[in-house]
Amino acid sequence: MIPIKYNLRSLMARKIGSLMTIFGTGMVVWASIFAFGLYGGLEKTFNTSVSPLDVLILRQGSTSETASAVTEAAAREIMTFPGIATDDQGNVLAAPELVVISYISKRDGSGNANITVRGVLPNSRLLRDNFKIVAGDDFRPGVREAIVSRALSDRFQGLRIGEEFIVQDKPFKVVGYFESGGGTSESEVWTDQRVLAQVANRTGATSSVQLRAVSKDAQQQLIDRITADEQVALKAVTEEQYYSDLAEQSFFIKMIGQIIAFFLTLGAMFAVANTMYGAIASRAREIGTLRALGFGRFSILAAFLLESLVLCVLGALLGCAGALLLGEIRTGTMGGSFTEVVFSFNFGPDVLFKGALLAVVMGLIGGFAPALRAVRMKVVDALREV
Amino acid sequence: MSDNHAESIVALLNVSKGFMRDKLEIPVLTNTTLHIPKGDFVAVMGPSGSGKSTLLNLCAGLDRPTTGKVIVNGQDLGELSEARLSKWRSENLGFIFQMYNLMPVLSAQENVELPLMLTPLSRAERRKHAEASLRIVGLSDRADHYPRQLSGGQEQRVAIARALANDPVLLLADEPTGNLDATSAQEVLDLLESLNEQFGVTIIMVTHDPKAARRAKRLLHLEKGSFVQADIEALETSLRGVAR
Repeated sequence: MIPIKYNLRSLMARKIGSLMTIFGTGMVVWASIFAFGLYGGLEKTFNTSVSPLDVLILRQGSTSETASAVTEAAAREIMTFPGIATDDQGNVLAAPELVVISYISKRDGSGNANITVRGVLPNSRLLRDNFKIVAGDDFRPGVREAIVSRALSDRFQGLRIGEEFIVQDKPFKVVGYFESGGGTSESEVWTDQRVLAQVANRTGATSSVQLRAVSKDAQQQLIDRITADEQVALKAVTEEQYYSDLAEQSFFIKMIGQIIAFFLTLGAMFAVANTMYGAIASRAREIGTLRALGFGRFSILAAFLLESLVLCVLGALLGCAGALLLGEIRTGTMGGSFTEVVFSFNFGPDVLFKGALLAVVMGLIGGFAPALRAVRMKVVDALREV
Repeated sequence: MSDNHAESIVALLNVSKGFMRDKLEIPVLTNTTLHIPKGDFVAVMGPSGSGKSTLLNLCAGLDRPTTGKVIVNGQDLGELSEARLSKWRSENLGFIFQMYNLMPVLSAQENVELPLMLTPLSRAERRKHAEASLRIVGLSDRADHYPRQLSGGQEQRVAIARALANDPVLLLADEPTGNLDATSAQEVLDLLESLNEQFGVTIIMVTHDPKAARRAKRLLHLEKGSFVQADIEALETSLRGVAR
C-alpha cells in the first residue's frame, strides 16, 4: 500500500485547499449537529418527563391537558383504585392537576407566548423525578405564589424571583426556582391547585389526574379500568404514550433538520469532490509514477479515498468542537398544546456521532468519483502530464 | 533491426502498435521484432513520434501491443491481468524518467523505499535496501533531503536509486539526461554505465542525445515505427551536418 505519510503530507502541501475543505466540512457538520441537537433536545425534554409507571388521565377525546377536564368527583374516585403506588406516609401517589394558559411577554421583546400555569398538589412533586427547589422558596398553599424554572424565568417577563405575572387579571408572585431533570415541567409555572382553580373559575374540575402505578401490570389494569368506565368518559394513557404523541406533533422540526442536513451534506460532497478532483489533476504524474512502480488500482483508490476521509474527519472534529464550544443553548418552541416548551439543545455523544458519520459519508461519497478517476487514468497518459 | 538471442531478457515478437486518432489508426510500431540479451545496455534513438517511448511502455507493460507478443524475463506480458502486471512491474522493472518523477512530499530515502512497500520486506529491511541504493548513487548524505532541496542531477540519481531498490532485471530509462546540464548528465551516464558493467543490470535507454547514446553498448534507431541500421558515428556526423 502507498504509505499514509504520502497522503498526509500531500494534504499539507496543499494547505489552502485542504484548510478550506476542512473548514467547509466543519461548517456543514456544525450546522447538521445544530439541527440534530435542536430536535434531539426537544425529544430529550419530552423523554425526560416520562416515568415508566405513570399514568395520565384526561377527558375522552382530548389530546392535551389544556383541552381536558376531569371532575373532582371522578378524580377522587380514581384515587381510590387499587394498584396506585403510595408515598412513605401511605398517601396515594396521585394528583389532580389544573392547567391554565397565561399569555406572557418575552424578555427579548419578540412578542408574547402561551405559558402553562399548572396548579399542583403536594404529591405532584413526588410524581416528577428529580424535582427540587434550586433557589428561593416553594410556594405557600392558599396564596398567589408560584415557582418556575430558571430557564423560563430567563425567557419571560415577570417570572424572576420577586417579580409578578398575571393569570386571569390576578397577579401571582414568583418565590422560587425549581428543576425537574430538564423535562417539560421546566417549561411550566407551578402554583397551588386550589388557588389557581379559584382565580381561573375552574373549581369542581381539574385538567388531568396523574398517578403512579405500583407495577407495569397494575398500570395496565388501571388504564383498562378507567378507559372501560363509560360513565366517567375518561381516557388513561401511559405518560410515555402521552409525551410520545406530543413529540410527534413536533415532528416537523425533525423533518426540517434532516432536510437541511441532507442538502448541506450534498453541497459539501461536491466541495470535497472538487478539492479531490483538483488534487488528482495536479498529481496526475505522481499517480502515473506510482502505477508504473507497481502500485495497483486498489492502492490508488484507497490512497485518494483516505485523503478525502482525512479532510472530512478533520472537518468533523472542527464541527463537533464548534458545537461543544457553544455550550448549553436554551431555546423554546411551541409544544403540542400551543404552549411554550423550553429546552436545551442536545449536543450529546449520539448527536456528535451522527454529525461525524455525515462527514465520513461526505468523505467516502465525495471522494469516490475523483479517486475512481485517478484509478482509471491511463498510466502512459498520466506520466506525460506536466 | 532484429537480434536473435537465446537468453533474451526482452523479446518483442512481430509487435505492432497503433493509436486511434479521430477514428483513424496511426501506426507507431510496425511488425517489430527485437531481442535484447541479459546484461545489455541499449540506447534507442529516433525522431519524435518514431515510437521510442511506445517501445519502452510496451516493455514495461504500461501499454499493450495491437498485435504481437512482448516477453520480458520469460513472461509474456499479454497473459497478465492489470493487477498481476502491476505486481510483475514491481518485481522486475526499474524506471528512470526524464523529469525524475520523485514524490515531492517524500524525502530521498522515502522515495527510494517506495517500490519496496510492495515487497514483503520489513521496515528495517526496506530502510537498509534504500540506504544501499542511495550509497550506490553517492547520495547517502542526502537521504533526508526532499526533492526540492536537491539539484536536478541529484534528483535523477535518487530516481536511479529508487529504480535499483528492488533489484530489477531490467532498467527502463526515458531520456534520463534530457533535463540535466552537461555535468549532471555526465554523472548520471557514468552511473548507468557502472550499473551495467559492475552489476550486470540490463538497461534500455531512450535518448535524443548522441553523447548519451555513445555510452550504451548498442544503438537502436527507430524510424517511422521500424528499426533501421545505425551507428553512432554516422548519427553524430549527420547531426553535426544539421547543426552547420
